[in-house]
Amino acid sequence: MTPRGPSRARTERFFRALVRLLPLDFRTEHGREMEQVFRAQRGEAREGTATVARFWLDTVQDVVRTAPREHLAILKQDTTYAIRALRRTPAFSIAAILTLAIGIGATTSLFTILNAFLFRPLPVSRPGELVSIATLDRHIELPHGLSLRDLEDYRADNPAFSDLVGCMPVRAALNAGGGAEQIAIEAVTGNYFSVLGVPPAVGRVIAPGEGRAPGDAPVVVLAFDFWRQHFAADPSVVGRTVRVNGRPLTIVGVAAEGFHSTESLLDVSAFVPISMAPALSGDASGTPALFEARDRHNLRVLGRLRAAVSIAQARAAMAVKARSLAQQYPDTDGGVSLLIVPETDARPEPATGPWFRMAAATFTLLAMLLLAITSANIANMLLARAATRGREVAIRMSIGARRGRIVRQLLTEGVVVALAGGAAAIPVAWMLAQSFARGVRTYRAIPLRVDLAFDWRVLGAALFVACASGIAAGLAPALYAFRADVNALLKTGGRVQSAAVDRGRVRRTLLVLQIAISLVLLVSGALFVKSLDRVRRLDLGFKPDGLVIAETEPALSGYAADERLAFYRRAEERVAALPRVASASWVSWAPFSPESDDVKVYVEGRAPARPGDVPMSFAVSVGAGYFAAAGVPLVAGRSFTAADDRTHAPVLVVNQTLARQLWPGQDPIGRRVRFAPDGRAAEVIGMVRDGKYYFVWEEARPMVFRPIAQDVPLGATLIARTTDRPAAAVDAVRRALREVDPDVPLAMVETMTSHLEQGNAFIIFRLGALLSNLFGVTGLLLASIGLYGVIAYHVAQRSHEIGVRMALGAQPSAIVASVLARGARFAATGAAIGIALAAAIGRFVRPLLVGVSPFDAATYASVTVVLVAVALAASLVPARRAVSVDPLEALRVE
Amino acid sequence: MTDRDRDVQGLLPLTPPMLHLLLALADGDKHGYAILKEVARRTRGKVRLGPSTLYGLIKRASADGLIAEADERPDPALDDERRRYYRLTTRGRRLAVAEIERLESLVDLALEKKLLRPRTA
Repeated sequence: MTPRGPSRARTERFFRALVRLLPLDFRTEHGREMEQVFRAQRGEAREGTATVARFWLDTVQDVVRTAPREHLAILKQDTTYAIRALRRTPAFSIAAILTLAIGIGATTSLFTILNAFLFRPLPVSRPGELVSIATLDRHIELPHGLSLRDLEDYRADNPAFSDLVGCMPVRAALNAGGGAEQIAIEAVTGNYFSVLGVPPAVGRVIAPGEGRAPGDAPVVVLAFDFWRQHFAADPSVVGRTVRVNGRPLTIVGVAAEGFHSTESLLDVSAFVPISMAPALSGDASGTPALFEARDRHNLRVLGRLRAAVSIAQARAAMAVKARSLAQQYPDTDGGVSLLIVPETDARPEPATGPWFRMAAATFTLLAMLLLAITSANIANMLLARAATRGREVAIRMSIGARRGRIVRQLLTEGVVVALAGGAAAIPVAWMLAQSFARGVRTYRAIPLRVDLAFDWRVLGAALFVACASGIAAGLAPALYAFRADVNALLKTGGRVQSAAVDRGRVRRTLLVLQIAISLVLLVSGALFVKSLDRVRRLDLGFKPDGLVIAETEPALSGYAADERLAFYRRAEERVAALPRVASASWVSWAPFSPESDDVKVYVEGRAPARPGDVPMSFAVSVGAGYFAAAGVPLVAGRSFTAADDRTHAPVLVVNQTLARQLWPGQDPIGRRVRFAPDGRAAEVIGMVRDGKYYFVWEEARPMVFRPIAQDVPLGATLIARTTDRPAAAVDAVRRALREVDPDVPLAMVETMTSHLEQGNAFIIFRLGALLSNLFGVTGLLLASIGLYGVIAYHVAQRSHEIGVRMALGAQPSAIVASVLARGARFAATGAAIGIALAAAIGRFVRPLLVGVSPFDAATYASVTVVLVAVALAASLVPARRAVSVDPLEALRVE
Repeated sequence: MTDRDRDVQGLLPLTPPMLHLLLALADGDKHGYAILKEVARRTRGKVRLGPSTLYGLIKRASADGLIAEADERPDPALDDERRRYYRLTTRGRRLAVAEIERLESLVDLALEKKLLRPRTA
């Protein structure tokens, strides 16, 4: 009953393939026997289909069940062995674990930050379907929101989106009876909660269709955390009335736990229907604007894609709608196109999203480089130890352990060290992330939500990073073991020349790599520092030193325009009279505030080239003394006076860029413009120097200045020029404003310098410099530890030779010099490679730098000098030890 | 309890397949396939070991010094291929006895508690 040839060969091939699931050792030990058993069993099961089927099922089951058990057994054995080996050498283990804790900790903390801001999905149902929709137009290069009217039109019969929601943050003072508290409120379209799929925790949420007409739904839904903190999670709050910016609103419910709005940075405490937004911002005149004007791009819009609609299809469908709106409303929608990106790409807002992601990618790259240095260090440590373990490896091989087995065991050892390092890295990462969070929270102008909780994504990333660096670190010694010659190792007690040469080469390569990468990290650190320094010295168009600023919101107390103006005047007089204050004035939004305002500028007597093609400009209202107090130089004409009020003809001041755009090569003074097609004409009375208004890296932008008395803002920022230390005047300014009117909410009072440092002017540059330098210094430290190890090893190897040379009368200084030269050679080779590497990644860093080229020669030169100096310092200790060797002692060793 | 007893006590209790492996070798050296056949026959087909389970057991039993390779020779009852034979070591025999005694004491306990009726021999 011999099976037929071909069928037999095939089944055996299948069995052999199946057996491959088992560990290699197992196969080499018992593979042949298993095949014998298989053949015998197969021969027995020849009769009857049922028996054959049963036989195959049993065989497959048998292997599939056994394989994981056998692999686990080996893993357990290797792990136990690795842990025992690590315990035998505690100094090595602690050094390795600490090194990894730093490397993995830095990487993980960075990932925690990125996760919180960029990756973590919104806590809504099916967040992957949400996309951000923003407006782009020809005149303001930054993407911004949509108008309510346009949103309604985009919602109607939309083939791409099942629905669109709009929202708009409002700053508010909420009073539940125990005094007002500054919070951020989100004004939302009625469908907000239903489209996002957020249920109420208590009561109800805002309903679709609620708040269609201005002021018609005076209700508020609390955010869960706010409810828990301020109302002790009391369900009976539903039905209670609270005062928000002085207006009574009824609490109708609490949003589901964990839902914190669709904002990624803002800490939102409550939600109101969009209809309440104008009333809450104290802007009665804003009501028609918000509900009617198509060019009031106030709403942040999110859309939920219909099933099976791609984002490209959505873009196409929305472009068609945008074109038809442009035809219908050429004046307002003429030059408008839409920017549609996944919601996560539009964080923290569509305007800064791409920049944020680029910064994130760059810093991730830097963190990975730091991690590479860490892994190289561990690899070097493992290799140094492999030198002393050469004999052990040789013995194990001679008693039949296979190379694959030993490689596997060395890799396991690397991973065990890395996992221990990863565990130690978690508190490090947590501390780093928390200190970052504290840094961000010092930005007082708006309540920020910085939730750097560790979730499974962060822990997963830490685990992945730890395993990857463990495998990377274990690879070098494993490869070394793979190439070791057993006989030679045994013969010489593990210190065989050829293997040592090999190992030396691996170690030297790793070292050069470490030095190269630490140069890259140091160069980027230095570039960021230089860039921060340039940014700080940038001409912002005003003189920030010596200024104190105070942000006030009189409209939140329900003040009408006249009352607000009266407050502004009284406060200005009062602050200007303070002892340390030279002058004071008002500006509706200070430079580098989180908010800004813009207008369309219709030049009198000039028809737009195309319908809707009306130039846009930043716009700000300022007090009469603003230019003098802020230090904005007047280039032509005059500045405002107290007489420029509502009883006099409307006037404005332009900056150079707007003048150049509107009247190239001509004198702007005396020209007349309107801010609406049917608005009152205003005359240009002056021109000021260009400045930076929103981002320090922005190109020169057009700006319109209007007198505060002709265009009274809802809230404004007082700026006071002090005669000496501005920080000393902060409290006096705060007290003065409180005394003038205790009811006017004060959002913040601080020096302009600290506003620039903490605010969106410099903070990104400061964080960049901080992070990249942290990486650079850590990298340098790790690389110099590595260099020290290699040089010390080199000196130990040469102690015999050095002893002979000293006995023959060599000068100690010559020997020190030869050891130092070796260190310097490493540093020079590493630096050369590092320079090439840094130049290669320079283009990634370029967009994040201001005023300094990523190829700045001076930076490269000074970093190289520092690196070589540190390398020499690291080599000096072993060099001195080399000459302190007693020649006789060294000679006796052989 | 002697030191030798203590030595094997740590390995108790045995898994049923391991005990069957030791029992199968108790009355003479066998190669892998013969062990499978013996176990299947003695248990009337209730315990059926596959090749990888079997060699997993053999591997562990060898590592613990319970069995050892005897020699390699052809089995006259099968084809002419040479096969590796295994034998029970003294340690393996002691362990099997210890396991049987452990089971016996359980049976005694069950009899005492009247969970089991004594078999009439």
